[in-house]
Amino acid sequence: MQQFLQQIADGIVLGALYGLIALGYTMVYGIIQLINFAHGEIFMVGAFGGYTLYTYVLPASTPTYVALVLVLLVSMLTSALLAVVVERLAYRPLRNAPRLAPLITAIGVSIALQESVRVFYPNGSQGKPFPALFPRGTVDLGGVTLSYVRIFVVVLAIVLMVALQTFIFRSRTGRAMRATSQDPDTARLMGIDIDRIIVTTFVLGGLLAGAAGTLQGLIASPIDFHIGFLAGLKAFTAAVLGGIGNITGAVLGGFVLGVVEALATQYVPNGSALKDVFAFVVLILVLLFRPTGLLGESVRSRA
Amino acid sequence: MSRVDTLPGVAPLRRVAAPVATPLALVGLVLLVVGTLLPWAGFAGFPGALSLSLYPSGSRLYVLVLAPALLLVLTRFTRRREAGLAASLGLLAVVVQTMIAISQAGGGFVNVSAGAEVSLVGAVLGVVAFLGLPDDAEGGASVDQPAWPQLPAAAEVAGVLVALAIGLGLVVYATLHVDAPSQFIGFTLALLGATVALNRLGLFDLLGTLYARRHTWTLVLMAVAAVAFPFTQNGTSYWLRVAANIGVFAAAAIGLNVVVGLAGLLDLGYIAFFGIGAYVAALYGNAGLGPSRGHLPFLLVVVLGALLSGLIGVIIGFPTLRLRGDYLAIVTLGFGEIFRILMNTFDRFTGGPNGLANIPDLKQGSFDFGLPHTVLGVQLKGFANYYFVELILVAVLMLLFSRLNDSRIGRAWVAIREDELAAASMGINTVSMKLLAFGIGATLAGASGTVQAHVATQVSPDSFVFLNSVFLLAAVVLGGMGTVPGAVLGSAILLAVPEKLRAFQDYRLLIFGVALIIIMRFRPEGLIASKRRQREFHEGGGPAGGLAGPPGSVVS
Repeated sequence: MQQFLQQIADGIVLGALYGLIALGYTMVYGIIQLINFAHGEIFMVGAFGGYTLYTYVLPASTPTYVALVLVLLVSMLTSALLAVVVERLAYRPLRNAPRLAPLITAIGVSIALQESVRVFYPNGSQGKPFPALFPRGTVDLGGVTLSYVRIFVVVLAIVLMVALQTFIFRSRTGRAMRATSQDPDTARLMGIDIDRIIVTTFVLGGLLAGAAGTLQGLIASPIDFHIGFLAGLKAFTAAVLGGIGNITGAVLGGFVLGVVEALATQYVPNGSALKDVFAFVVLILVLLFRPTGLLGESVRSRA
Repeated sequence: MSRVDTLPGVAPLRRVAAPVATPLALVGLVLLVVGTLLPWAGFAGFPGALSLSLYPSGSRLYVLVLAPALLLVLTRFTRRREAGLAASLGLLAVVVQTMIAISQAGGGFVNVSAGAEVSLVGAVLGVVAFLGLPDDAEGGASVDQPAWPQLPAAAEVAGVLVALAIGLGLVVYATLHVDAPSQFIGFTLALLGATVALNRLGLFDLLGTLYARRHTWTLVLMAVAAVAFPFTQNGTSYWLRVAANIGVFAAAAIGLNVVVGLAGLLDLGYIAFFGIGAYVAALYGNAGLGPSRGHLPFLLVVVLGALLSGLIGVIIGFPTLRLRGDYLAIVTLGFGEIFRILMNTFDRFTGGPNGLANIPDLKQGSFDFGLPHTVLGVQLKGFANYYFVELILVAVLMLLFSRLNDSRIGRAWVAIREDELAAASMGINTVSMKLLAFGIGATLAGASGTVQAHVATQVSPDSFVFLNSVFLLAAVVLGGMGTVPGAVLGSAILLAVPEKLRAFQDYRLLIFGVALIIIMRFRPEGLIASKRRQREFHEGGGPAGGLAGPPGSVVS
């Protein structure tokens, strides 16, 4: 029983990360119906942004808490900036191209970003030990052991998710985003600047992915140029699981996927070797039995 | 207007050059030629013997061959400006690239000798001269080009023959005589400039017309050229090995082209189907590595691998193909990863991460595929045998592909690709049609995988990573979605070019990712465009070029 609860707790930590990244997928998909394959790499580059700041810029005497805040902010900004650049250079010219073109471009962007980090970052093919910016120590909750940093990850993720939710459902820009996702043509007629909304979407997705980058570094050091691939795939699965295009769904999907993966790794025979298979099995099962996801409405097809 | 004209500073340059375009081009030509007779490198030992004078070798040879293109300025071709610009930009690129390579190799710009600088000035003059020409007539070659008159059959076949001979000659030259990476880049740049220029002049339209008129002859001659390739390799096996790899890869790419190019379904786990075939061959072929230690005849193995792979394709496709197309991409990606991880994990059958090694060569009767054989006095190394088998495989797949493309099924696929909703309203059963495409693709991949196991002599999960699926996809996209020669050409380029550029191996994937982005942005229809596909990608962009074929030609 205790082991069971421990796995659930670990799954929630994992799920918080998946959820943060999944939000970026789901928002972009909601607005322009593009699976942004490069989103995992945007997360990865964010983690490298924070790492770079700590290793090459900050003086060694910086207090840890200040460093943590700065690293987090720089990660978020790096990812957001990169997301905007990618949108501007790679996706926008293909806005009206046949569906396949932006998808293939997204794959190209993903590979190009991975390889750029590997080739051009100093010693980029090696893993980088992410600085431990959070005090060590654990709490014991009825037999379940959680380190402070893992609790911090979940809390920060939830704070960011609530902030995003508030932004989308309370602000004027958020309303414009929802309108664009429902019907871009009508939204345009209502005076909404679609290009600005799309850029905003990429910025928000990038900010969250960058935050996830730092959090990933804190709980799963070292980081390397390859971490974006699997994280991106699983986050996408989380987005589909929750119902793609649905903000709450992405968060829920992230947590569910994290818990399922943690439990399966523990209880399925040979589970740890098959660790990365479960997410895909979940994805296929969801598509088989409930293609709209847990919270999704019927998938719109825009002809 | 060409794309160059949108660059800043071009317009005033154009006004200055307009009245003196012809003399500029002629002076440029003279300078280019004189430059090639002078030394380019100030030190001996640079690849291509660029330090000798009066001996146009290496990159200088490419400049010398391409330079007469500047004479276009004297002609009345309808698209001479665009063609001339392409050729002179190609010349400029070769000269600049060679100068950079010389400076790098020699440790400084001082090592570049006067010849290169003379040629550089000539190339710049050429570019400026063609900028100064008036705009080409609007409309494109297919509309205002005079129809090629019907020639006697022998003359047309001879034209095809010459084109193929030149193509084969270039391949032999590039494989055997261009060794240094810098020289190969120069060769590629010159070839690129020449190809674009000839395309602007309508040469490829002409070849397309000839192909349409002399279909059978062209195919026969192409087959002859393909069969002739191993005989040109002077008994060496290096490029035969590459060719054997290209053959397998091209066969798989044609299968993927059915899925992506015809039906418009993005399959990102395609390499897994290829892997299924390879594992079947390793386990049940003459290697007999399976639990039963059985040895099945090779043809049976091919069929078995193809069927198993196709069956799994249908099982995977069935739940996902009912949904929006985008899901397919991600599910197939997931499936590819599952396949790889499973092969890694279940090591009782698959050898785990080490895979299955030492797969013996094929033997058919007393014919051992691994041994060299002497045909017509030329010794052909072992890989040639596989190459010939793959030629047959590719030929069969090409036939299948074109029959499918022209059939009711092919038209249904195109309809689904362009607008699924409309296709369904027209009475097409979209799910079963998509399933058919997906299953055929998987089957073809399985068949080519069985050959791959023997060519590579080993099978391991590392060969079936996501990146290899993307690699296959890139071959299809680069060559041209929806065309058979495109898939073959794309495979050949993607596998052969890295062999020449080993010095840049570390950048291979980076270049490859960037190339995908650039192709999708500027030429999404690929090098060899399918007419249908080309219109689709450029719809809404002015009058539909290519709609009106030359009178008397068969538009297919």
